[in-house]
Amino acid sequence: MSRQSAEAIEEEAAEWLARIDRDGETPELMQALGQWLQGDTRREGALVQARAAFALLNDHFSGVDPNEEEAIDAPVRAGTIGRRRLLAGGAAALAASFAGGLFLWRNGETYRTGLGEVRRIPLADGSVAAINTESVVQVAMAPDLRRVEVKSGEAWFQVAPNPSRPFLVETGRVRVRAIGTAFSVRRREGGADVLVTEGVVEAWADGAEGNVVKLAAGNRAFVADDAAIAVAASAPASVDRALAWRAGQIDLDGDPLGEAIEEFNRYNQRKLVLADPSAAGEPLYGIFRIDDPEGFANAIRHGLDLPVQTADPRRIVIGGPRRPQESSRKS
Amino acid sequence: MGEDRQTRVADWVKREVLPCEHLVRAWLARSLVSHADSDDLIQEAYCRLAKIDDFESIERPDAFFFQTVRNLLLNQIRHARIIRIETAAELDDLGLADEAPSPERIVGARRDLARVRERIDALPERCRRIFEMRRIEGLSQREIAARMGVSENIVEHDTAKAIKLVLKALRRSSDVAAAEPYLRTRLR
Repeated sequence: MSRQSAEAIEEEAAEWLARIDRDGETPELMQALGQWLQGDTRREGALVQARAAFALLNDHFSGVDPNEEEAIDAPVRAGTIGRRRLLAGGAAALAASFAGGLFLWRNGETYRTGLGEVRRIPLADGSVAAINTESVVQVAMAPDLRRVEVKSGEAWFQVAPNPSRPFLVETGRVRVRAIGTAFSVRRREGGADVLVTEGVVEAWADGAEGNVVKLAAGNRAFVADDAAIAVAASAPASVDRALAWRAGQIDLDGDPLGEAIEEFNRYNQRKLVLADPSAAGEPLYGIFRIDDPEGFANAIRHGLDLPVQTADPRRIVIGGPRRPQESSRKS
Repeated sequence: MGEDRQTRVADWVKREVLPCEHLVRAWLARSLVSHADSDDLIQEAYCRLAKIDDFESIERPDAFFFQTVRNLLLNQIRHARIIRIETAAELDDLGLADEAPSPERIVGARRDLARVRERIDALPERCRRIFEMRRIEGLSQREIAARMGVSENIVEHDTAKAIKLVLKALRRSSDVAAAEPYLRTRLR
């Protein structure tokens, strides 16, 4: 089967628009369009492009000057709030939640993962949990509520849809509710990261039910125990990459070396140590196995031309002084 | 609601993204990506843009679009097999530098849309008339057909033809821009 060329798709998209412009959005036409769109992921993009081209044409013939139009200020994105700023007051709130939460989980089942362990667990309701390294997750299924507590670490949930039985994840004071969707919760100091891969979830902090944030697929947010919520700009690709651990991978796309090292150290006994802080910001690309810090260090050695010391079985030192023979070979 | 969103997306893409599309295409060409692959990537990227809920709050849509295309390209390369950093580093050497077109470039890009507008001005007379009646007199395709004494099929066909021409002009304008090495290329 030959793949349709982008140019052919582009022409079809233009024809669809002209047809819709002629007949209006009749149900039959919209259904046929929907079928066309499903045939190839590129078609939706071509349709967007064609709509923009159509808008450009219409402007042109009504005499709109695009340079004037632009003077209208585009809304400016609210910057992502740093995690540190949200920490104030978190510890006290955490202590308070601890006292109240003790007896809620009597009937739950507890899952623990060791260092470097990633477990996929089917839950009784048909949902699936993937539990990341060094985590403790407790699951309690009641007839009217599916309740999960992420006591530490990180877990991703693929929730089986059931509107009459909400799926609630608790961690510290942070609450995340879903009906049928997929998302992850990672316990952090003072709050939790929430990443949504499918559908929509609601997140809030216990006691601050008035401040609920709705997060859609591709969104991520940090919800603090003290109820502050910082939503990051929508970035579906970065959410997918942040969840590469489910496949036993670390997926780097320009992430700085310092952060990549931290990530590897979450999973491995043998720690990576960066002896040359000036290299911490080097952007890295590639997909690596979570349990292969040696392979990663090797790639660094070649890719960034940094010395790597592997003599110590407990750690791998990246950067730092070159051994004499290395520097002489260099010059 | 759906229709309203579509219109907003189309206006936003027209205003913020279309003018820089040819720069991204030029960059792809310099990164030794074939025309056919570039076309695919651009369409995929528009598809991603369309799916973003709060697209209007993207601060630098041009840079965002560029980044989206770049990520798609990197993903494609990665999915071919799991690559190591050496390979990624080589990619950078081929000009896959993480640099979006600068604001000055975008001004240049606006000027380049003038080329697309020239092409629109050069549309056949019947095509132009149809669009003038649409916009200036607010007539529907059916009314235009009646007014001009042609079939509705012709009006629909000419409408599609004009859209195709604009899309084609956007695609072609990259060939000119490809000659300008504004992005860092570090071929060793």
